[in-house]
Amino acid sequence: MKTKADFPSINERRPDGIKESGDSYRVLIVDDSMFVTKQINQILTSEGFEIVGSATDGAQGVEKYKELYPNVDLVTMDITMPKMDGVSALEKILEFDKEARVIMISALGKQDLVKKSLMIGAKNYIVKPLDRAKVLERIMMSLQ
Amino acid sequence: MRVEYINPFVEAAFNVLREVLNEEVKRGELFLKSTSQPVLGVAVIVGLTGDVEGRVLFDMKKEVALAIASQMNGEELATMDDLAKATISELANMITGQAVTKLHDLGFKFDLTPPAIITGENMEVSNTGVEALIVPVELQAGKIEINVAVRERA
Repeated sequence: MKTKADFPSINERRPDGIKESGDSYRVLIVDDSMFVTKQINQILTSEGFEIVGSATDGAQGVEKYKELYPNVDLVTMDITMPKMDGVSALEKILEFDKEARVIMISALGKQDLVKKSLMIGAKNYIVKPLDRAKVLERIMMSLQ
Repeated sequence: MRVEYINPFVEAAFNVLREVLNEEVKRGELFLKSTSQPVLGVAVIVGLTGDVEGRVLFDMKKEVALAIASQMNGEELATMDDLAKATISELANMITGQAVTKLHDLGFKFDLTPPAIITGENMEVSNTGVEALIVPVELQAGKIEINVAVRERA
C-alpha cells in the first residue's frame, strides 16, 4: 500500500513566509501609520510570516529589535516617522546587529533617503502604495 | 497662481487613486477661489515650505472618506475611527509624495509637513494673500476636491 508521502505534490508551494525548516520568518514592523502596519501585517501573515512585534516610531523600533533579538528575521522600516526617523533607526539597528535585515518602506519623493539607507546597509526598499506582489517579491529578495 | 504647481498634484492624485482604488477616476472642471470656501467634512492638510510655500487640502464628505478608507482596507469602516483617519492620511501622503517628486524634477525645492486630518461640520478655509485652485476628482464613492494654494516665496 502506498501512503500519501510517496506522491510528492508538485502543485503544493511552500508559502513565502515559511523557512525550509518549517518555521515562519519573524518580522518586526516599524511604521507610524496604523493603516500601513495593518496592510503589511495582512500581506505577510497570509503568506505564513509571523509578526513578532510592531513599533510606531524609530526609537521604539530600535528598542523592540533589541528586545526581540535574535528571534527576529526581518524589519520593515518606514522612513518618515516622529521621534526618530527610519534612516537613523536603521543605523542604530545595524550598530547593534550588523547582520540585521531591514527593508525600507517609503513614499515616493524620498529617493535621497532611500539611497542613503541602501548605502548604510538596508537590504531593499518598497515604494508605497504597497501591493501584495511587490511587497512579497522585495521581501523574499532581501531574505535570500 | 501658476498652474504648473497644481498639475503635479492632480496627476499624482489620479495615479495614486487609480492604483489604490482600482477604478477609473474622472477629473472635474478646475476652478479658482480667492475667498473662503466651505470644507466638506473631512479634510487632510499638507503644508509646503521652501521655494514655494502654501498648502494642499484634500477635501471630501465624510461618507466619501469612509467609502475610500473601507475600500483601501478591504473591510467596512462605519466611523471615522483611528484606522479610517490613518488610511486617509496615508492616501494624502502618497499623493503629495508623488507630486513633490514631480515638482523637484521641475526644479522646485521645498519640504512638506506631515498630513493633518480635520473632521467636522460647518468649517471654512480662508487664504490670505494667495488664491486657491480647486480640482474636483470624481470617484465611484463620490468627489474629492484637491485644493492647492501655493505661491513662490518672495
